Formats: sequence, C-alpha cells, structure tokens
Amino acid sequence: MSHLSRRVFLRWLAASLGTAAGGELLSACGGTPTPDRPLAAPTKFAAPTKITVPTAMAQPAATLMPSDTLVSPTTTAAPAGAPDLVVARGGEPQALVQQALKALGGIERFVKPGNDVIVKPNMCVAYHSYEYAATTNPWVVAELVALCLGAGASRVRVMDYPFGGSADEAYQRSGIKEQVEAAGGSMEVMSRVKYVNTDLPDGVDLHKCYIYDDILKADVVINVPIAKHHSLARLTLGMKNLMGTIRDREMMHADLGQRLTDLAGRVRPALTVVDAVRILMNNGPTGGNLDDVKKLDTLIASADIVAADSYAATLFDLKPDDLAYIRAGVASGLGRSDLSNMKIEEIRVGG
Amino acid sequence: MAVNAKRNSIRSRKRWLALRKIVQMTALLTFVLLFIAARRDGWPPDMVNVPLRLDPLAMLVYSLATRTILIGSLLALITIGLTLIFGRAWCGWLCPLGTVLDIFTPKRHRRKQSSPPEKLRAVKYVLLLTLIIAAVLGNLTLMIFDPITIMARTLSIGVWPAFDQAITSLERTLYGVPFLQEPIGSFDNLMRPAVLPIEPLFYRDTLLFAAVFIGIIALNWIASRFWCRYLCPLGGLLGVISKVAIVRREVREDCTQCAACGRVCPTDTIQPDKNFASDPAECTICLDCWAFCPQSGVGFPAHRSRAVWNDYDPNRRQALIAIGAAVTGLALFKSDATARRENPQLIRPPGARENDLLDKCIRCNMCSRACPTGAIQPSITEAGLVGLWTPVLVPRIGYCDYSCNACGQVCPVQAIPPLSLDEKRQRVIGRAYIDQNRCIAWADHRDCIVCEEMCPLPDKAIKLEKVNVLNAGGTPVTVQLPHVNRDKCIGCGICEYKCPVNSTAAIRVYVPGTVG
Repeated sequence: MSHLSRRVFLRWLAASLGTAAGGELLSACGGTPTPDRPLAAPTKFAAPTKITVPTAMAQPAATLMPSDTLVSPTTTAAPAGAPDLVVARGGEPQALVQQALKALGGIERFVKPGNDVIVKPNMCVAYHSYEYAATTNPWVVAELVALCLGAGASRVRVMDYPFGGSADEAYQRSGIKEQVEAAGGSMEVMSRVKYVNTDLPDGVDLHKCYIYDDILKADVVINVPIAKHHSLARLTLGMKNLMGTIRDREMMHADLGQRLTDLAGRVRPALTVVDAVRILMNNGPTGGNLDDVKKLDTLIASADIVAADSYAATLFDLKPDDLAYIRAGVASGLGRSDLSNMKIEEIRVGG
Repeated sequence: MAVNAKRNSIRSRKRWLALRKIVQMTALLTFVLLFIAARRDGWPPDMVNVPLRLDPLAMLVYSLATRTILIGSLLALITIGLTLIFGRAWCGWLCPLGTVLDIFTPKRHRRKQSSPPEKLRAVKYVLLLTLIIAAVLGNLTLMIFDPITIMARTLSIGVWPAFDQAITSLERTLYGVPFLQEPIGSFDNLMRPAVLPIEPLFYRDTLLFAAVFIGIIALNWIASRFWCRYLCPLGGLLGVISKVAIVRREVREDCTQCAACGRVCPTDTIQPDKNFASDPAECTICLDCWAFCPQSGVGFPAHRSRAVWNDYDPNRRQALIAIGAAVTGLALFKSDATARRENPQLIRPPGARENDLLDKCIRCNMCSRACPTGAIQPSITEAGLVGLWTPVLVPRIGYCDYSCNACGQVCPVQAIPPLSLDEKRQRVIGRAYIDQNRCIAWADHRDCIVCEEMCPLPDKAIKLEKVNVLNAGGTPVTVQLPHVNRDKCIGCGICEYKCPVNSTAAIRVYVPGTVG
C-alpha cells in the first residue's frame, strides 16, 4: 500500500455508495409489507407514508372539477328531451351499444373531437373468457372505443387493475384486448408509478386516496361494468367498478357504500354503460361456472352512475335501496335511484 | 522488419482477446436475456432452459439422483464435447459467472507474492465428488454451489427485484416532473410486464442472496478467479475432462523465461518452476498468456496424451473424504427433525409435492423468476438444510395465480411437472384454515368476506354463513362467517394473501393431507 490514488479513492467511494444504495434497494425488496400494499383495513384511511409525487402536483387536478358541481356528473348538459337512462335489449352487443348511445343523445354528447378518453371495463380477474361473465363483454367495450374514435377522440385507452392474476393476462383472457385493438383502441397496463395521492374534497368518509393519474386527467372516463353478484356489496355494478381506478382496495371495505360514493364523486365518469349481455348470478365476482351465468342481452346506459346501477339492480330482482352504495350515492347527491320518476327509454334491438 | 513482424503478430494475438471478451459478453447477455424471457407468456421453455441444460454438472447429478435422462439434458453433451476439444474453454469463454468475475477483477498491478496454496485447488474436486456421491445416494443439496444455479438464483432473488425497485424509484421521481409524465408512462408500459414485473416482487432475505454473490466476487481480491480455481464444482468436472482435452497450452522453444505469462494468467496455473508449463484442468484457454508473450513462446497445439496428474487432482484420499462427507451429511439429514415431520408451511409449487421435488430440484430458482406474483420463494428454513433454496410457496408474500402454470413450464428438470392450466387448477398444493380468534367476521362480528370474494374456484371453496349474533357490546348483529370447504380448496393462497388482518393472516394455507 503506497498511496491512495484518486482513481482508487473514487473506486472505493463508488463501491461504498453502491453498497449503501444496493442495501437500501435490497432491503426494500424484503418480504416485509410496504406502503405499496397495506395489509390493514383501518377505519380511517391511513395514507401510505412513501410518496414521491409531491402533493402540489395533485392540487391543480383537484381544482379542475369544482367541488360544488357534484350534482351533474356529465361533462355536457343533456340535450332537451334526452332520456335519463336507456335500456337496450335483444340484439348483438355492438348493436345494443349503438342503439343505446343513439337514444341517449349520441356519443358526441360525451366525447368531443380531440378528447383523451379512458374506457374502464371490469377485468377484475385473469381467470376466464368473457362467457363466464366475470369480465365485461369485449364487443361492448370495443364498440364504445369505436364510437369514441368516430366522434374524434384523440386516443382511447382501456384499462383495469385486476385483483386476481396480472393485468396483461386479464386483458388477453377476457378477450377484450383483441377486440379493443381491432377497434383502434389501446390497452394500458396500469403503472404503479402513476397513482397519485388525491384529495377528495367532497368525500364524506374518504378524504384522500391514491387514484390513477390518467383517470383523473382524462377528458372523458367511460365506465363499463358488467353486472355481477358480490357477497358484500350484493352486486358489483358501475360504482363498484371504480375500485379498479385505485390501488389500496382493502381499505374501501370499511364503509364500502360511502367510500364508493366518495370515489365516484372524484372520478366522475361521464357515462356509465352496464353490460348485462351476460350477468353473473352467483359466485361473483370471480365466476367460472356457466351455470351461474344468465344471458340477458341487455345494456343500460346513463350519464348518472347511480341511476344506471339502480336499474341494473332490478335485473337481479333487487330494489335500488337494497344496495348500500346506491343509498349512499343518493344521500350524497351523486345521482338518482327513483326509477319511477326518471325518463327511461327502453328499446328493443333487432327483433 | 523483424521487430515489425513481431509487433503485428502481437497485435493480431490481442485481437483474439477482444474476440474472447465479445464472446464472453454475448454469452452473459444471452444468459440474462433468457432469464428475462423465462416468465409467463415469455419465450418457449425449451429456449429459456438452454443455459441450465448446457450445464453438464446439473444434468449429470440430476440423472444420477433420479436414474432418468431427460431428452433436453442431452444438450449438456455439447459442453462436454467442447471441453474434450478445448478444455475449460467453457469457463474462460462462456460461463456467465466466470464473465462476471472477469468484469470485477482488480487490476493486476501487483503480483501477489503469496498466492493461496496449490492444495486449495483440491477443494473443488472434493466438492464435485461429494456432490456426485450424494447424487448417487439421491441427494442434490450441494447443487447450490453450481455456478449456473448461483447466477440464476442471484438474478431472480437479488438482482431483478432490486433493479425493479431502483427503476420504480427513478420513474416515480421523474414522474413528478410534468413534461416527463408522458415519456415515463410510455417507458413503463414498454418495460412491464416484458422485462420488469407489473407489481413489485418481494423475496425473503434478499441481502443474504446478494451477500453470497458479492462474497464470491470479493474472493477475486484474494486471487483472480478464486471461485473458478478453488471452489467451482462445475469447474472441477470440466477440469477432469480437460485432462484429456485435445487443445492444450504448450510452452515452445522460443520461450525466454521472462515470466510475463505467469503474471497475466487469471487462474495462476503457469508454474515457473516447471518451465512455465500449466495444468490443462486449471487453464481456461483465455489466451492471455499467448497474447501477452513478447516472443512466440506459447502455443495451443493438439495433444493426444493424458496430462500430468497433480497433487491436488482427484485422488483416493479425496474420494474417501467425499464418500465420508456425503454419507455423514446424508445420515445427519436423515436424523434432522424435518425428516420426521414436515414443516406445516412447506407448500410446494403445483404438482411438485407428489413429484418428490426434493430429489429432483437442482436449486436453480428459475421457478421464482417465472412466478408472476412472487409466491415461489427459495426455502430458507421450511425444508431444513437439506432442502435449502428449494422452492416453497409463501402465500402471505404472493399467491398461486389461478390463471398461471408458468413454474412447471420453466423448470428445466421437471421437478415441478409441466402441467396444463386445467391440470394445474385441479392440483391441491395446500388447504386453507381460518383462525377464528383473529378473523374479522368470527372474532369481531364485522362483515369482511374478502377471502370468499377472492377464492378463484368456480364454486368457491369458501362459503359464507349468515348468522345473527350478539356483538361484544351486546347488540344483535347479522354477520357473514366464512367457512372453508376443505374438499374443494386447492390451497392457492389468495385468501391468505388478501386477508386484510394485519401481519399474519386470519386465514392460512397449510400443507395438505393427514398422516396415514
């Protein structure tokens, strides 16, 4: 050992820094739970400690939607005479979408030329093809994509954050990827870096939540749930489908009805299309048994997410008030459930 | 003129070194590329398995232990053929671990006065013999020392998850810059799931796996390629074959005894006291000595005789040590508590339990790489020392995805059988049990139902019973209590993974079956 040259010094410096950094990284990979996936279901949402996106980033997005406009969830006022809700029955999925949207005032009511659109179907598991009614009908999704592009949308992305299996697998096995890409849309695997801690100024029970940034930034969000059985919520419909826009789903269960309402008030889909081509009567939301599937060839479309869910509940012989999130949604002014007072247009497609 | 010609020849010889380095880097990158591609929906299994099937040690001991020969393992004959011609060229030109060791070699600015004793070279032969004898007796525990499994394991348990964390941190930071959000999003969509996992993967004791690897590299500072010279059992196997290899290093008459070759030899096998001759079992044909020779004193002509046997080469003494070590080791394993009763958490990948995983697994941990949820962890304690680093499913870290059968496809030796997705969905790997003292519904009379919701079986192995009970405050409440139908449960563990109870789950998967 004569003397410590600069090169040697730098090498050792690099090695020690590398070790320190490597140690931190490796310890981050350890088996201990991290903020990415909190295990607890606290009654009050404890914000994960680690966030790299400064809250200042979330602020402008929050101001885009003034908190006092909660009553009208649509981006554009409904044209005079347009129904509150459309039910289309008895045809091919594409035709159901076309007719329902036409009756609702046309896709142009929701999508303006140049809009960036996100279509959010239910692709909650990667287990089965669409026939098992665990995931939204691919042709319903694809037709919506095609309509949006036809109305001049600059791009249409389709995404969901499945809880069983990985996104790429769910996109493929559901059959949605194939149809959406054929229709000119693109599938996006929801990136874990794009969830931002978002304020919910109108939230009653949920005040902060990690929501997918692009869902918040998109010009139009179209919510395309499939109607399914669910043991806690009884049914998973439009409001519950928005669980796919957030990351820490476990904490929603503490007060599912109110928290879904708070979330829907922030995500604010312009249009909700409930796919009831096939519905899952039992063993939801995962499905897998064709005996539990009932083919209805029905589609419900409304700008009011609560109204769409309310009508969908009747397909299962339930009243809207049987569902906690519909009750909470009405109480918070998110939407309506009084089906008898709504202007509902029922159409029969093709025979 | 003569001086010029000599210079030209030295320059052309150095070009061979450049070629060797290119081959080394290509082999290393190919190894990493095949590792990356060894994921669900990645490249075909027969392709990603090539490195492990080229490993003659893995294939030999697997065949000895199981008394079967896999068609794919015949690829190892290529490596043996290569060694019969070029000696340990595998080590000098192809081995990914050897290349990593070359990259992290300290500058040979000072020749160590005291190289480790030559006798130490015998360690690799003792290790090799013990490994082979243990394999004959049906045990593969020592495969943890195979260089290819070391590389694969280090990549899957240490490097890749850490790399993912590093990239994610970087992405998160850059995502805070508004104009970078679009490019970061596109980059992320490009990387996941093709290269990096969509969800972060977690492994137990990642630092341990990294430390083993860093330790092997650190030995380079005692002597270059310390691992290859003294410890590597694959190097030992190829070394023995190299004794009869055709192409061998030879010192020519032009040698002026300048000792330049001895200074550059990475395995330090050039012996000045034996007229700068070398041991073909130690020579990796790296060509450094040939390229750096100021004269033309080194050549690599063809031979047909057997090379000289050295003191440290396999001998009767070593064989006796190996037999003793293997027999003693196995006897001790047999008296280990894990041999009497298995750990209740020793959940094996689908189909592996019935398939005698412990006797077949070569400890490469490629199944961990293939598992999309990070459920498959290298066993540290569950399987005892005998099953060190064999795959075990840890549902609290990751669940067995109902839509995935990747582990059995990727396993190079079918220790995890290659089941079709339908077969795999039927395979029972464990059974779930509810801890009623901690379950939110059972203990606190609050609705939760997450385990039932998550159960992927078409008819749900978890059923809910609606009951009216008095809660702790004496108020009557209706609550849905989960029950596991053990006849249906396959033990995929998604219920345990998703159970919202903090820390240890209130529903846990245990090894299936009962005694007798």
